[in-house]
Amino acid sequence: MNTFSMYVARESGLHKLYPLTKASLTLLLLIAGLTLPVNWAGYFLVLFVIFPLAIWGKVFKNFMRIVWSISLPFIISVIIIQSLFWGKGTPIFEFWILAPKIEGVIFATISVGRIILVMAGFILFAMTTRPDALMISLKQVGVPSSLAYIIVTTLQIVPRFVTKASTILDAQRSRGLETDGNLFVRSRAVVPIILPLVLGSLMEVEERAIAIEARGFNSNREETSLIEIPDTRAQFILRRIFMVLMILSIIARVAWQLST
Amino acid sequence: MLENIKKEFSTRILVLIPIAIAINIAIGELVVRLKLPVYLDSIGTVLVGAIAGPWAGALTGALTNLIWGLFNPFAAPFFYVAAVIGFLAGLAGKRGAFENESPRWLSVLVGAVFVFSLTMFILAFSNASIDDTGFTSYPSMADLFSQYAIIFVVAILIGAAIGYFLLQRGGYAGFWGLITGIVAAIISAPTAAYVFGGVTGSGTDVLVAAFRASGAGILSSVMAQGAVSDPFDKMLSFMVVWLILRSLPARFKAR
Amino acid sequence: MAIIDLRNVTYKYPLTQESALKNINFQVNEGEFVAVIGPNGAGKSTLCYTVAGFVPHFFKGELSGTVEVAGADSSKSNLHEWVLNVGLAFQNPFNQISGAKYTVFEEIAFGLENIGVPRDEMIPRVNDAMKLTGISELADRSPYSLSGGQQQRVALTSILVMHPKVLVLDEPTSQMDPIGTREVFGVIRTLAEQGMTVIMAEHKVEWIANFADRVVALHEGQIIEDGKPQEALTSDVLAGKGFGISRYTSVARKAKETGLWKKDKLPVTLEEAVEGFAHV
Ligand SMILES: Nc1ncnc2c1ncn2[C@@H]1O[C@H](COP(=O)(O)OP(=O)(O)OP(=O)(O)O)[C@@H](O)[C@H]1O
Ligand SMILES: [Mg+2]
Repeated sequence: MNTFSMYVARESGLHKLYPLTKASLTLLLLIAGLTLPVNWAGYFLVLFVIFPLAIWGKVFKNFMRIVWSISLPFIISVIIIQSLFWGKGTPIFEFWILAPKIEGVIFATISVGRIILVMAGFILFAMTTRPDALMISLKQVGVPSSLAYIIVTTLQIVPRFVTKASTILDAQRSRGLETDGNLFVRSRAVVPIILPLVLGSLMEVEERAIAIEARGFNSNREETSLIEIPDTRAQFILRRIFMVLMILSIIARVAWQLST
Repeated sequence: MLENIKKEFSTRILVLIPIAIAINIAIGELVVRLKLPVYLDSIGTVLVGAIAGPWAGALTGALTNLIWGLFNPFAAPFFYVAAVIGFLAGLAGKRGAFENESPRWLSVLVGAVFVFSLTMFILAFSNASIDDTGFTSYPSMADLFSQYAIIFVVAILIGAAIGYFLLQRGGYAGFWGLITGIVAAIISAPTAAYVFGGVTGSGTDVLVAAFRASGAGILSSVMAQGAVSDPFDKMLSFMVVWLILRSLPARFKAR
Repeated sequence: MAIIDLRNVTYKYPLTQESALKNINFQVNEGEFVAVIGPNGAGKSTLCYTVAGFVPHFFKGELSGTVEVAGADSSKSNLHEWVLNVGLAFQNPFNQISGAKYTVFEEIAFGLENIGVPRDEMIPRVNDAMKLTGISELADRSPYSLSGGQQQRVALTSILVMHPKVLVLDEPTSQMDPIGTREVFGVIRTLAEQGMTVIMAEHKVEWIANFADRVVALHEGQIIEDGKPQEALTSDVLAGKGFGISRYTSVARKAKETGLWKKDKLPVTLEEAVEGFAHV
């Protein structure tokens, strides 16, 4: 399946969960991790909730690899900038112009926890949920089908466009367009790539719109679905609990903010 | 109101939005490949705003970041910024910024004011000093002007040239792009500072580091970094869309 | 009784000066298979869009005259109701893929989902339609992974599965090889015999001569010829106007000037040509 998604097919309990259950769990983890007035909440949730879930979903190895490669630039950046360039604070040591501050290191460590939480949460969700299944479940709870159409279509055409952009880039190169060299040369290369890409696809719009209207896209009859995704009563209740927890953690944050 | 919003989402626009998102992502990644110091990842969003209106533009922006988030989780928390960009592009479109040709002097003015403020901004930051209590003080405008008079004159000339040669008759679009960029820089800073500790994991982090070293707080460093990169980037994106819409036969602009 | 009835139809696209259709009068009976021919820009696609309701509902512009299909008046209907009666497939197969589906089977079911066909009715309908057009073995493939000709078959099947009364096809075989073209023309012929009405814009005159019931020739937005394929396709009216003309017709026309072709009627297909020259 050549789509813009990280989905990894496995036979696992996590994969079999109703997509919305996973979506609301992910949302809960992100909200709790970012709002709870506990600085280390991010690390805690990653270690004791997300990692076990990734193991349950039988994707742990892939998952760790992707989380690591995506988070690393951020982590390096945040550590360098916030520990070395922290304005006022207690220096750990001083060497030449470098003087990492304790406060900076603490801040950087807290930030790393949040970054990993956001990355890991999204990645685990994306790895274990088929985008079309997510859309079907959204439709089942009443999200307008036009929104579902937009999202699934996007996931299919993004890889095509990324390829198309490279193809145009190569074509323009072979016609003598310079794409290496100094900033000025590279900047000038952008327009001859962007214009054909965008103009070409704008001309497609009319026909694509005709094609889906011809297939009843705007019909006002009650839609049906070829694929049905099973939900369970237990998961329905679970989602309600997640939602309550989300609200509770926001309340906790507000209360804490008010008291300090 | 609800009727008006609904009207923005004709079948043509519903088809256009995925294409626009794909354009955002494809060009966004291309720019990285060409190692250019801009993002250009909202051309599609601005395009939808210009053709369809603010709500369709906002949806395009938000979905771009959320969907990009499936591959690049860093983008997702900024979905609201992208939505505001699309919304503002829609307002600009309603005001005719993408249809009308501006007089060239307006483009010169927009360019000059832009580079002038940017210069002032950077100089103010780089001349800031921290006292012992950790309080940051900035130099006064008068000091800056007298000290760097030549730099300011050069900046105004460069800006005027950018306006004349780059913006050409797209002064209205350029102006709206600038405004949009400033708004984007301000509203994205809190998320960048809080969720990501002020970094983007990319080249612009150097700027954040520079501002931090000059004594600015995390939030203001991030905002300052945004204020340097966002207005220029959005001005370019609005310009590109202006160019595209001018070269597109009228029948393809239908909604 | 005519299932398609166009009277004095004149149509101008928005922002254009010249009418794309001029005073068209065009009636089609149920179960007829009508081919529409004409040089580039003659208005074939516009005529197709008019019967399919997209002119004027989708394109806007100015339409005068009346367009009726199956007793309903286009100007008094909505496009989303109109498409339930009239199916449309067109030339570029790539743009007809919905993009919202991952397999050919799901792609074909897309229209049925939209119009609310229950799931247990949907599956047999998709299977039957795929069997009809010979693409059953593609069911689990991604629509994007197919060849142009295969995609055109999927586009056709996606419309057929909706069981329209009238089928409008705008150059539906442009990307198919001769074998594929023959199969598709055969399928359409069968459908017409079962009572489906078919309008097809097409350049391939030899196929038209073999399969269509009637030919309508458009030139600069006007119908300049309308009749049985054999007569219409060899009509002198078409000469010199940029129509695609069968090479057998051209050869026989030359031969007639020198007295080599003795029959009154000119041939369109190889068989007719062979038969005609056999009398020499
Ligand atoms: N959407 C449109 N807006 C404006 N003019 C159009 C539009 N579509 C077609 N036209 C014009 O209408 C006329 C008829 O075009 P049409 O596409 O119907 O021709 P055609 O016979 O299908 O040609 P072809 O063989 O190239 O497919 C042409 O002059 C064309 O330029
Ligand atoms: Mg045509």
